[in-house]
Formats: sequence, C-alpha cells, structure tokens
Amino acid sequence: MTARDLIPIVVLAVLAALLPLVVTSSPVMNFLVFTLIVALGAQGWNILGGFGGQFSFGHAAFFGTGAYVTAILQLRYGVNAWAGLLVAMAAGAAVAWTIGFLSFRSGLRGSYFALVTLAFAEVFRILANAASFTGGAAGLLIKLDVHPANLQFADRAVFYWLVLAFVTGVLLLTRWIQRSRFGAQLVAVRENEDAAKALGVDSLKVKLRAIALSGAVTALSGCLYAQYFLYIDAHIAYGSWISVELLLAPIIGGVGTVFGPVVGALTLHGLGELAKQFAGRIPGIDLIVFGSVLVLAVAFARGGILGLLERLRDRGRGMMTRGAKEVSHAGR
Amino acid sequence: MGRSVQDSALFGVSRRTVLKAGAAAAAFATVGAPSILRAQTPAVKIGILQPVTGALAHDGDLGRLGAEMAINEINAAGGLKALGGAKIEMVFGDARSTPEAGTQEVERMQAEGVCAIVGGFASPICLAASQAAARYDLPYLVDVGVSDQIMARGLTNTFRFSPGFGKVTQVALDNLTKINELAGKPAKTVVLVHEDGLFGSGLAKLLQTELPKRGFEILETIAHPTPARDMSNVALRIRSLNPDLVIPSNYYGEFVLLARTMQQQRIKPKGVYAVLGGAASNGRFVKEFPQAAQNVIDCNHWHDPQNPQAQALRKAVEAQGKSFAYNVPLNYSNVLLLADAIERAGSADRKKIIEALNSSTFEGHIMPYGPTKFVNGQNEGATPINTQIQGEDIKVIFPEYFAEAKANFPAT
Repeated sequence: MTARDLIPIVVLAVLAALLPLVVTSSPVMNFLVFTLIVALGAQGWNILGGFGGQFSFGHAAFFGTGAYVTAILQLRYGVNAWAGLLVAMAAGAAVAWTIGFLSFRSGLRGSYFALVTLAFAEVFRILANAASFTGGAAGLLIKLDVHPANLQFADRAVFYWLVLAFVTGVLLLTRWIQRSRFGAQLVAVRENEDAAKALGVDSLKVKLRAIALSGAVTALSGCLYAQYFLYIDAHIAYGSWISVELLLAPIIGGVGTVFGPVVGALTLHGLGELAKQFAGRIPGIDLIVFGSVLVLAVAFARGGILGLLERLRDRGRGMMTRGAKEVSHAGR
Repeated sequence: MGRSVQDSALFGVSRRTVLKAGAAAAAFATVGAPSILRAQTPAVKIGILQPVTGALAHDGDLGRLGAEMAINEINAAGGLKALGGAKIEMVFGDARSTPEAGTQEVERMQAEGVCAIVGGFASPICLAASQAAARYDLPYLVDVGVSDQIMARGLTNTFRFSPGFGKVTQVALDNLTKINELAGKPAKTVVLVHEDGLFGSGLAKLLQTELPKRGFEILETIAHPTPARDMSNVALRIRSLNPDLVIPSNYYGEFVLLARTMQQQRIKPKGVYAVLGGAASNGRFVKEFPQAAQNVIDCNHWHDPQNPQAQALRKAVEAQGKSFAYNVPLNYSNVLLLADAIERAGSADRKKIIEALNSSTFEGHIMPYGPTKFVNGQNEGATPINTQIQGEDIKVIFPEYFAEAKANFPAT
C-alpha cells in the first residue's frame, strides 16, 4: 500500500470525525450512527460479494450472530461489553466460515450460493425465535447503564466516533485487501474461478478467508446495533431486512470498491431522510425515494455511484484526448 | 457630527416617547384586550408516534386518528386552561414499523421541542422509543405495547396506561373460566393456534401451563409464522381434533385467514376465544367478513361501552368511514391523560409532567379502568375486557358490570 492509497481514507475519516463539532443536532447524529452501522455491515458484505463475487442474500446470519452473542454474553454471563464485542466478531467469523465451508465445499456458486445463505439466515431466525436462551420471541433487552465501560455513551457523538473508527478501520482493511496478493486471488476467483484454479489459486481457501472476514465485520455491525438500540429480537437480528440493506448499499455505491458501501449507505439513507424532511406529512415518501434511487442505480449506474462517477470522468478525459487528437490530425 | 444627533434626527422619536408608547401598549394589552394576549400563548407540542407505513400501518393509522381527535377536542374546548388556553400542537412521527425509525422520530421530536410523546403501538418500537426519550427525561406514554419488558426497565419517563401482557393473560384466563362455568362448562378440550412471534408464543407457553390447572385439556398447540398465506392445514388439523374451543393468538391478517378457512371448511367449535386477538375486536373484520366473524370472543383492550364520551367517539370514527378498533380509544385516552397531567403540572416542563403523571388520578378517560394510579409507570387499574362479535357489532359480554349483551356461548 502506498501513501496515495491511504490519504483519501485518512482525509475523509478526519473530516467525518470533525462533524460532531459542527453539527450538534441529535437527529442528525442519530441518523449518522445508524447509517454508519449499516455501512459497516455493508462493508463486510462487500469483501465477500464485491471482491469475491459471492453474492450472499443472508448476511443477516452474521449480523444477528454478532448482536445475539454480545447481548447474551452480557445478560447471561455478565461479560463486559467490549470483550463481548470481540467474542461477537469471532463468533461471526466462525458462523461465516462454517456456512462457507458447507456451501463452497459443495461447489455452490451464483444464485445457488445466494439461496443457501438466505436459507441459513432464515433457519437462524426461526431458531432464535424458538430457543429460550435467546429470549425467544420476546427478544433480549440489554440493560440501560450508560457508562463507557458498558459501551453505552451519554453523548451520541462518542458512539458516532466509535462507529466511524470501525468504518475507517474496515476501509483500510479493504484497501489492503485490494492491494494484497489475497485480494488479487479473490478477484481472480470472482472473474473466473476455473481460470484462477488453473493458475494455482486455492479457490476454496481464498473464499473461506473472505467469508470469515466478511462475517466478522458484519457481526461487528450487528454488535454495535445491539449496543446502540439495546434491544434485539429474532426479526431485527436475523430478519431479511438487514440482508437486503447490507447488499443494497454496496450495489448502489459501487460493488467491489473501497468506498462503495459507505457511499451507498449514506446516499440511500440520506435521500430517504431528506425526502422525509421536505415531504413531511406524506407517510412513506422516503420509501418511494429509496425505491426510485434503487431503480435508477440499477438501470443507469451499473457500477454503482462510484462506477458512474468514474465513467463520467473517463468520458471527460476521452473527450479531451479526442479533442487533442483532432488538433493533431488538423495539424498533419 | 455626533451620532446621537443624527439618530434622533433620522427617526424623529426620542427614547422617552418610545417608552411611553410601550407602556401604553402593555396597559392596553393587559387591561383592554386580554383575549389578544391569550391567543399569543405559545402552543404546547406533543409528539404522536405511530407506525403508519410498513406492516403495522393499519394499526398506526387508527392510533393517530385517536390522538388527533383528542387533540382537536381539547383545542376546540379552549386549549390547556392552566397554561392560559395554550393550544396543543401535534408533532407526528412515522415509526415505519421498525424500532430504528421510531428512535429516529423521537430524536426529531426532541429537536422540535415536544414536551411528551404518546404512542409506539408495537412492543419493539415502544422499547426503543421510550429508551431514546429517557435520554432527555422526555415523558413517554406507551399506547398499546403489551410486552412486560417495557415497564421492567425502571425508566422513570415511561408510563403505560393500558394493561401489560401478564395482566391481560391473567384476566383472559379468569374470564374464560367464568364464562365457561356460567354456561355450564360446555368446553373441555382446547386447541391453541398462535403466531411464532413475541406475543403469540409467549401466550401459548403461558396457556399451556395455566389451562390444565383450570380443568381444560389442550389437544394440540399449532404455531404458524407471520405473515402466513395459507391456513388450510391448520384448519384441517382443528377439524380432525374437533376441540370444544379454539384459542388463537395472532395478528390481523392471519386471524382473518384462519376464521375464513374455518368457515369455508364448516368447522364450528363451541367457541373461538381470542386473547389480544388481531382481528377479533376490529370493526374492519366484522364489516368485511361478517359470517366468519360471528360469535368470535376476544379478551382485549376495549373502551367502556357505557361511557357516553366513548360512544360519541365511536360514532365520530365510523362517520368518517373508518373502522373502529381499540387503538382509537387508547390513544384518545392517553392524550387526555397527558393533557390532564400538563394542566395539573401547570407548565410544559418535563419533570413536572412526570411528577403529575405519577400522582395522577385521572377519571376523564374512556377505558374501563377507573381512576388512574401509576406504580412504577404502570397503571394499576388497567384491565382488558371480553367482547363478542354479534351480528354486525362488537359487543362487550364480560365482566357483567360493563356488558352490553349476553355471551353467545356455546355458539349457536
């Protein structure tokens, strides 16, 4: 990784970190925290789906595992929330590795892999809903005890900085993946698995590493969700809504790019929130905007917002070079 | 050139004249036209939080309607008298049927300066929203959310006027036993049909331990997901078991589906006894599927049918072409309760409102609860009552003190 790789991430992170000093409005802070939690989970999805090309429809399985593990550890075993966070990530990675092992070993790809992950998430949802140690359908309520040691903060800005730090960390991780040998192998598997194998890439190993990383990051976002809202039930933690959120953000922002998930999450939720502000009294207007952005992005911006920006930039450059060529033609 | 000279030359008015005019104006305002002064009292903002989009939109709409009608009535009657006739301004928030959206709306309401919030409807929304409000000591009145966890957290800002899950199920069981005894104990065997979410499975678990103690035999417990698209298998199972009593606990869509499927397959148990039934006391169900709805008994939130104010409210709602359900009187009563607390607090100060709610003995509501008495935020007098769909109407059948009609049980 060179300095050029890191500078944009660091600059954006610093700018974002300064935001609470300017914006003190609680609704904005609350919105940013939730959006960044979604962005974090989406970054997790992007490692597997974007770089590895393995589209999962069931990242709720990892999100929910993160949320439940941290909640259960605190409630049933009195484990500290920060330690719970680490265990939750490990549990997310373990669940992801297991699901990955079962499905990649059987050679499931494309839509088959997507369906299997979807099924796993649903199984988890039903189990969490039925088992008593997950609180069953009544869900789990983390005790409200505002103290930094409990990962609960009186000031929303502190939680914002925490989530931002994690998002930045994963941005750096993603950049590293992009530049590393592992990332190159992952992209090779995405583009043509058979060709990658022929070149000596151990595709199963690469995919398992990717899904474990992806699971850990998404579990982290689930854990933060639980710490922020302090209540989870089977539908919130393992529901299909979160699987959809986590795959929509990178698709809108730019699949397989470093900033795609964050841009996508901010765009989708930001537009929804703005629409709510302006269209005020009409219920559901933000959802209409959400749907419209999705349709537009899929129809016109195949590579997401970042892809679109890149195309526009290339077109601009193309016009310039064409112009230069015409000049040189004229000169000849 | 001196600055003061220029100023007075420009405006041609001295400081003394301005003072005189001001004093005269003030005197005119206080003595001559008190009504003008009163009209300028700033409005008191109340947050109304309901899920009006998403899966719970139907309930959210009814909840908002109830709150709106109460606010309009209070304003039409001259506003909050203790605050110089201040009007109540509704700040509405759509909880979109999710806890995150509920929290976000609480933050917005806080930014807009509401003095209290009423609503939430579903338990997860109430849990998240009341917690967000607790950060600001913002009084939060839960309208429906029955989960016992809501009141178990010790949040000083959270109040629940309606009964919780434990209370509802207790009363439901007691009443069922009594209704059965009054009818000569026709029902002995029971099939439970429940949704697999928060209240369905919780209720099923409780009934499984409690019903046998009261002399009922549970033949089977059938769980189904929400949403469920087909109830044929459930209905067939009920037919083969042939129980005296079916006890369903599910949401609107599934309850309607189950009742219709049972009607189509001509399954007629001696009674259908719903606890917090999703549709069993909903005017829409009666209107749309009167045959399937006949004789369904429910133990649920319901207004006091003898209360003239409640009767007027129901008429007003039905005159708007809307169906009546418990959400309307509950939210209506909650807003009245809050307004009473603000009146007694004498200000829109949050701490004072919380104090006033804690010492509340409010009787002006339209629920069959008697005067309010809050212990740790829970209204002790809150209780569900039994209704039955008879003809085209939902009638209260138990307890006898409130009853409008006799229970048709066993169903004929």
